[in-house]
Parts: sequence; C-alpha cells; structure tokens
Amino acid sequence: MRWVTLFYPAAIIAFSIRSSPAAPPTAEQIARRVQDRDTGRDSRAEMRMTLFDRHGRVRERALTIVTLRGRGNPGAAKTAPDGDRLLIRFTYPADIRGTSFLVWEHPKTDDERFLFLPSLGRVRRIAGTEAQESFVGSDFTYEDIGGREFDDYSYALESGNASWTDADGAAHPAWRLESRRKDSGAAFPRVVSLILKDTYIVVQADIYNRRNEAQKVYSVRRIQQVQGIWTVFDSSMANILDKTQTHLVVEKVGYNIGLREDAFSRRELESGK
Amino acid sequence: MTRPLADFLWRWRFPLTAAIVLCAIAFIPRANITHLDNDVTAWFSRADPVYRDYERFRDEFGGSRTLIVALKADTAERLFSRSTLDFIEQVTGDIERVDTVERVDSLATATTVEAIRTSDLGPPTSDLEPRTSDLGPPTSDRSSDGGLDVRRLLDPKNADPPEEVRRRALRDDLLRGDLVSENGTVTALVVSFDEQRIDQVRAGVIQTIHGIVDPKLPAGVKAYYNGSLEISETYNRITLENQRKFVPPILVITLIAVYVTFRSWRKMLLTIVAVGISILWTLGLYSLLGYSYNVLASMLVPLIVVLAIADDVHIMQHWDEERRHKPPEEAFKATVAHLATPLLGASGTTALGMASLATSHVVAVRSFGIGSAIGIMVDFAISLVFVPTLLSLMKAETGETPHEKYLVEPLRRVSIFSTRHPREVIAMSVALSAIAAFGIVRLHVDTNHINFFSPRHPLGQSARVIDSDLSGVYSFQIMLEGQPDTLNTPDSLQRMERVEASLRAMSNVKKVTSIADYVKRVNKELHDGDPAADVVPSSSRAIAEELFVFTLGGEGRRELERMAASDYSRAQISVKLKSMSSDVVLELVEQADVAAKAAFKDTAITVTTTGSGRLFSTLDHYLVTSQLSSFGTAFFTVFGVIFLVFRSARFGFLTIAPNVLPVIAVLGVMGFLDISMNIATVMVASVALGVVDDDTIHFINRYRREVAAGATTDRAIELATVHEGRASLSTAIINSLGFGVLMLSEYKPTAWFGGLLGLTMAVAFLAEVFILPATITLLPSMFGADALRRTRSRAAAA
Repeated sequence: MRWVTLFYPAAIIAFSIRSSPAAPPTAEQIARRVQDRDTGRDSRAEMRMTLFDRHGRVRERALTIVTLRGRGNPGAAKTAPDGDRLLIRFTYPADIRGTSFLVWEHPKTDDERFLFLPSLGRVRRIAGTEAQESFVGSDFTYEDIGGREFDDYSYALESGNASWTDADGAAHPAWRLESRRKDSGAAFPRVVSLILKDTYIVVQADIYNRRNEAQKVYSVRRIQQVQGIWTVFDSSMANILDKTQTHLVVEKVGYNIGLREDAFSRRELESGK
Repeated sequence: MTRPLADFLWRWRFPLTAAIVLCAIAFIPRANITHLDNDVTAWFSRADPVYRDYERFRDEFGGSRTLIVALKADTAERLFSRSTLDFIEQVTGDIERVDTVERVDSLATATTVEAIRTSDLGPPTSDLEPRTSDLGPPTSDRSSDGGLDVRRLLDPKNADPPEEVRRRALRDDLLRGDLVSENGTVTALVVSFDEQRIDQVRAGVIQTIHGIVDPKLPAGVKAYYNGSLEISETYNRITLENQRKFVPPILVITLIAVYVTFRSWRKMLLTIVAVGISILWTLGLYSLLGYSYNVLASMLVPLIVVLAIADDVHIMQHWDEERRHKPPEEAFKATVAHLATPLLGASGTTALGMASLATSHVVAVRSFGIGSAIGIMVDFAISLVFVPTLLSLMKAETGETPHEKYLVEPLRRVSIFSTRHPREVIAMSVALSAIAAFGIVRLHVDTNHINFFSPRHPLGQSARVIDSDLSGVYSFQIMLEGQPDTLNTPDSLQRMERVEASLRAMSNVKKVTSIADYVKRVNKELHDGDPAADVVPSSSRAIAEELFVFTLGGEGRRELERMAASDYSRAQISVKLKSMSSDVVLELVEQADVAAKAAFKDTAITVTTTGSGRLFSTLDHYLVTSQLSSFGTAFFTVFGVIFLVFRSARFGFLTIAPNVLPVIAVLGVMGFLDISMNIATVMVASVALGVVDDDTIHFINRYRREVAAGATTDRAIELATVHEGRASLSTAIINSLGFGVLMLSEYKPTAWFGGLLGLTMAVAFLAEVFILPATITLLPSMFGADALRRTRSRAAAA
C-alpha cells in the first residue's frame, strides 16, 4: 500500500508527461503520476475529522498524522526505510486522547500496524485490516488515505476534457479517470476520479461498490500550496448508501521537517506525545 | 314490505340484471388475485405505536426482517474445508450484490478480535528485525507486548488454513451459536434488506438468492432457508399455489354437487355464473375502495363462495317449489317475497360481524372486514335479483329433483323424531356439548407459523436446523435511548449485562447480544485472552478505547453501528429465539420489556422493546383478538338482527342453542385434534358463523310463515325441516365436498379450513333440524303455533 498520497498531493512534477508532446497522456501514465508526485520526505499534519452519521449526528475527532516517505519514492531520503511510515495520534476527544496507531509499510509484504491504548499502557500489534476497510472508523478507507496501489488497478481515461470548479468558482481542467480493481472481490472495485491536469490532485472521486452503485463520493473543497507542495486542506467522503459522511480538515501542515525513522518507533508510539 | 320489493324487482329485473352483469365485467381487471401486496404497511397502520417503534428502531439500526440461509455440512471438517469456505465467501459477495440487499452477516463478513501472544506473531519481517532492535525496547515490559488480531474471519488476502478458521470461529462467543453451531457443522448467512423496498420485490430477490446458493452448494452441504421474509414469502407462494391448485377441483366438485342436487345443467351453470359475479363484484369493490390484496384478503373468495352457494341453493330450491304451480312472474315474486327477509337477516348478521373488524388495529383486517361485509351484502342483492331473473327465463323444470327424492323423506323422519323426542335431543345435545367442552379446555390460542407446515416442508426442516444448531429463527430487540455518551458508560453497560443475564435465563432464548459483549470481548483479548478480563471495564476511557479498537476493522465498525449509535445515545440488546408460538413470543417480549425497564429504572435511559419478533407476534395477537371480537360481535348481533327482522325477542333467544352448539362442537374438535385457535382457524369461525346463523334464520322464517299460514307446531316444524333443512343440507354437501379438497393441502391452515368448514356446516345443519324443533316443542308457550297466533292476534288487536 502507498501512504501519504491523497492528502498530500504534490505540485506537478518537473518531469511530467512530455515524452510525446502531441500525444495526450494515457490513463496509466496519469495514474502513475498521481502516485509518484512529490509529497516531501516527511510531513506532520494536525487534522480535524468530523464524522456525520446517517441521522446527521456529529462526532469530532482531532488527530495528528506524521508521515515519512519510504526509500525509493520521489523526494524520499536515502536513509529512509523501505516503506512509508505513518503515525496517527488522536488528541480529541478526551476519552481516546493518546490512542495512537503506527503503520510500517513493507513494499513486498503486508504492512505492520501497532496500536497504543493509553488505558492499557501497552502496545498491541494489530493483525489484519485491509486496504478497503474503514480508516479509524471514518468513511475513508486506508486506501483512500494511503493511495491506491498502482498495480492493483487497471485504468481507462473517461475524459480528457473534464473540469473541476473550486470553491471560488474557478474552473480547472481535469482528467476523468476510471480505475478498476483487478480483484473483483474487492468491496469497491471501481473508482472514477477527477484529476487536476496541473497538479495531479484527485479532487473528486465516485467510488463504486460491487453492485456498481456509486456508494461513496470523495470531494475536495480547498487545496493550498504549502512549502511548494499542493495540499488538500478540506475534503469529505460521503457514503451515499449509508448516508454517512466524514469531513477532514487539515489545520496545520509542515513538510520536510527532518523526521527520522525513530519518530515511528514503538517507544514513540507509547510516548503519547 | 317484501311483496312491494318483489314487485319492484320483477318490474326492473332486466335493467338490474344487466347492470349487475356489466359491472361484474367492468370489475374483471380489478379482480386481480394473482398479485399479493407484501408491504408490511398493508398490515400495520403507520400510526400504530408498535409499528412506529419498529420504524424508529429500523431507522437507527436497520431492519430485523431477515432471510436466514443455514448451511449444514455432514461434518465440521466439511464445513471448514477450503472449498466450503470459498463457497461461503463467494455467495456472500454475490448476495451482497443483489438489489435491496443491505448486508450479509456470515463467516465471510465476521470480524474477530483475538489476542496474539508474542510467540505466535511469527518472526518480524527480515528488514524490520534489526531496525526494531535498533529502536530499543518499549517503555513497558516487552515480553507482554503481544498482538491483537482484529480482522475478518475469512480474510481473502491472508487466508488462514481451514482448521485455523474453525478454531477462531468457535472460539468467538459472539459467533459461536449464532453464525456457527457449537459443533461446527452448521453456519448461517443472515441477509438484511432495505426494508423500504424489499416488500415490493421480495419474491424475485429471494428467488435470486436461492439461485445464487443452491447451484453452487459443495457436496455434502445442504442449504436451509428461513427467517421472517422467507416465512412471509412462503405464505404468499402457498396462497397463490393453493389458488392455482385447488380452485379448479373445488369448482368442478362444486358444479358436480350442484348438478347432482338439482340434476339440472342450467342450474349448475346459473350457480357458477352467480357465484362468479358475486366474487367479481366483491373483489372489484374491494379494489375500488383502495384496499390491496393480501393473504388475508384471499379468504374473501371462499367466504363469498360459501355464502353465495347457500343463498343460491335456497333461491333455486324455493323457485322449483313455486314454479311447479305458478307462472314465472308469480314464482319470481313469491320466491323474492319469501326469501328477502331471511336472506337479508342471514347476510346482515354475517356482514355486521365482518364489519366489526373495521375497528381492528390491523390494516389488512380492517380492509378484509369492510370488504367482506360489502361483498356479503352485494352477494345478497345479486342473489335476490340475478338468480330469480335468470330462473324466470329458463324452461320450467318441474320434475322431482334428487334433493327432493332422496332428502325429503329422511328429513321428514328427522322432524318427527325431533318433535317426538325433544328431551332426548336436548339431552344428547347437552351431552355432546359437555364432551366438546373437554376439548375446549385443551384448546389453546397459538399461532406458530412454522407448525403450519408439515415437518417435511422445507420451512419446518430449516426451522429445526436453525433452532437446534444456531440462534433460532425469531428475534426481537430492546432499544435503549438516552443522551449522547450515556450508553457507553460502565454503569449502562453493566445494566445491559444484567438485562442480558435475565433474558438468557428465560426458556427459548438462544442468544442475547449487546455492546457490553463487544467491550468484554475486546477487553479480554487486550488482556491476552485472560478469562478474568471478560468483564466490562470500570473505566469509561477504557471502554471508549476498546470500542474504538473494534472499529479498526471496517466490518467491525459496521457491526458496532448495528449495536449502538455513533454518539452512543442509542443502543440495542438483540435477543434471538427459537421459532415458537406468537403468543409465547409476545409473552417473552413483555417479560423482557419489564426486565429492561427495571434495570434502567432511575436513569434517563428509556427502554423500547421492538423488532420483527414483536412486530409479528403483535400482528398475530391483533389478528386473533380482532377475529374473536368479530366473532363475538356477530354472535350477539344475530339476536339484534333477528329481533329486527322478525320483530321478536323470543326468537332471538331461540337462536342461542343452535348457534352455540356448532361453535362448541367445532372448538371441541379443534381441542381434541390439537388444532390451535390461530390466525387461520379464527377465519373459519367467522365463515362458519355466517353459515350457522343463515340456517337458523331460514328455519325460523319458514316456521313462522307456516304457523302464520295455519299450520300446527309439528306441521310447521316438519315443513321448515323438509324445505329449509334440505337447502341447508344441500348447501352443506356442496360446500363440504368442494372445500373438502383443501384437506389435501400440505399447508395446515388450508387443510384446517377445508375440514373445519365441512364440520361446521354439518353440525350447523344438525343443530337446525334437531335442536330448533326440539326447543320449539319443549317450549310451546313461547314458540308453539298457538302461542304465536295468540301473540299475533293481540298485536293486531292493539
């Protein structure tokens, strides 16, 4: 699984698709660029997650997500670990404050996940949890947060002339890309995404279930450049069938802050900072 | 009064008959009895508090009307083999793709939480090992740093060996006994639907699911289907199948019986056309009133057939008697004048009884009551106009009919016996009533839908499997409501535990689950599976964290959402039961409600007991009580109607014995045969009463007419017995033979209807020709010819 792609979309990268100026990019090329965009060596973001249930009841959560890009990814440090690292720490509400979740990605094997529960005072290694399962109880899946594994999907360009209108009413040219999961048993085998041509940010996605119903809709309300990196600051995932929604707002974000691998250790997980 | 009516009808007979026929033809498109309205609101009023509670529950936690597919393997090894697990995973996915399916709970969607000891975690990945060491030990004791396995039982990416899946499934308290049997040979797929839409497409969806599961079943594995939706659908299927299967033989036998009775092709055709027109009018008006056709409304047809044949036989028999001596006009007028009052009285009493159902809580009962009351009165009008009109166009059939040839003399002897041995007749009636009373003592009110089918029927077989190996076919829920974050506190969870404990102590309760169980399970596994940690923690923070842990798996989050609202302002306690009598379910529901209310007394949390178990047990209760109430109403109404029709209170009292005895006899036989008073048999009682009071009214009317014409008591009784008793006997024979075919049905309510209807008609006939004459003979000062004439003289003088 690839982490830190959806919420930290990169600025268009210098070597963007110009190998054949006359030919439009293929679907695979677009998907590859989305995955490979620069999201910095590391990042630290403070976020507020608002969960709406089917009755409109609201649950607020505040969390800090700290990431380290794995070796081999664009922008990653040479000393970085093989896979991405992700540390999620809940800071609000009080009853789950300090609850933390650590993910070590391994490019060729299953990810490892560790959980720290303050009341228990111990780290627990978590087995299981699939890419298309709920991310910390929200409408996002781990895949939505971490990005889709390029090789798990086949791609088709639905439209090269789509556009996306931002919150200020400005239209931006975009591609409409269909991604089909190769594993037909997946919970969400099809995604139709709107990808900005200039930034390779996924700004909207219709996510289809196994009945080919548009079950979830991802939409971005605000993107902003931080330290030269385009970042989604305000987005939401609505589950149309379940009538639930998760609103995710980045309150503060910093890139390339010099995080090292030991910031993603069990000790760090237990520290609760 | 009846003579002017006869004159009027003779004058307008052709326009009226044409109108009757044309309207019947116009009603044909509306008389669609091949489509049943399945919507639950066809039964429950939206304003009904029980239904509103269920809607509120459904809105929060989803519906609890499910389809249960139990998969039974010959061995546990077979069930937990790779091929069977793959099959479960595949069909779960395929069923989830079916329209209106909201979710499937199965081994493929189950989430387990399990402690993993450090030694079980296996070696860390090679590249992690040195780095992990580099990171240094955690602040806590490293040796206790075990793992927690929160994941789907059948993980498509990391498929455990089948024996490991079996171990995990059977180890899980929430799965064992619910989704998988204790011995590991049976598992269930519980399919929940979008209940706003499922009823409209239910048959197709269930058929699709059968089509997904059955063809792919691995060798050695059998599928059993049950659940409230399967039961409802089976009802519909059987209702329609029975219509297709039994209507043709009923029609043929009825026609043959009519032919044999009158030995007339014309009368046979006339009867079938008249009955057909009455049915078309009834169903047409029923539809015109905006009512939908459902399983209960399917009883309209047999009800109208029975009553229409009774009316038509009386009319045709009387016509034959009049036509021998009179021209058509006179025969028409005499027949109408003679029969208008008793037919009105007979129809009126039955219709009033049915109309009393309009006060029922159940929408379907209300519409059935009003629809059948209108149908009965329309049938009366049609019979009185249409049949004599067509008879007047027929060639006179003056020959002796079989019913005269074979029934007159025996009935005359019966009349002589009744009037000569009235005490013996009454004594015998009392003795029979006493014997029947023993049976009535054994009679019980009980609607057990599963028992309506033979043990060999798939529904009975599946109920046995699900009841014995899994958590049972029925369920109900206790919904708890409070302020946000009140239902995840240690105090609330402990109260839930207390409720659960009291429910588990009740017989027939198979499984009880609440979020307390989820918290206990996670707490235990976080403490390395220590059984001592299988408790609700005393810290709110620990509970919040443990509930959070459960949501780490996507299915776990969904599962938790079905047990508690996201802000913990609502939670449910789910109670699963064996299939049983609706009355026992209702009793359990009420006991659970009391226990839960007691447990949450002095808190701000409110308790509502709801779910499909409460919905349907309440519905059955409503059905039986409303029918019994209707039956009672009709029973007493008959006195009022007779008082109005005959302007005589004493003849109202005379109807008591002949009306009571058939009812006692039928109820007694039901008791001896262990046939319960249920939603099916109470309908027989209503139809039976319509027939019973018809016989009584016809007899009394004839008796009074003969007395008024100068006959002695014995002669009047003889004429009434021979003429009206003969019509009753003919009707009983025709209907019993016709509906007797229903006794071949494998669906017990249908078989009961056929058998009990015949029994009721037979006893009603016997009561008419024995008890009425004996009572009249024994009480000459009240009912004797001289007493009646004296009363008439006094009334004329006054």
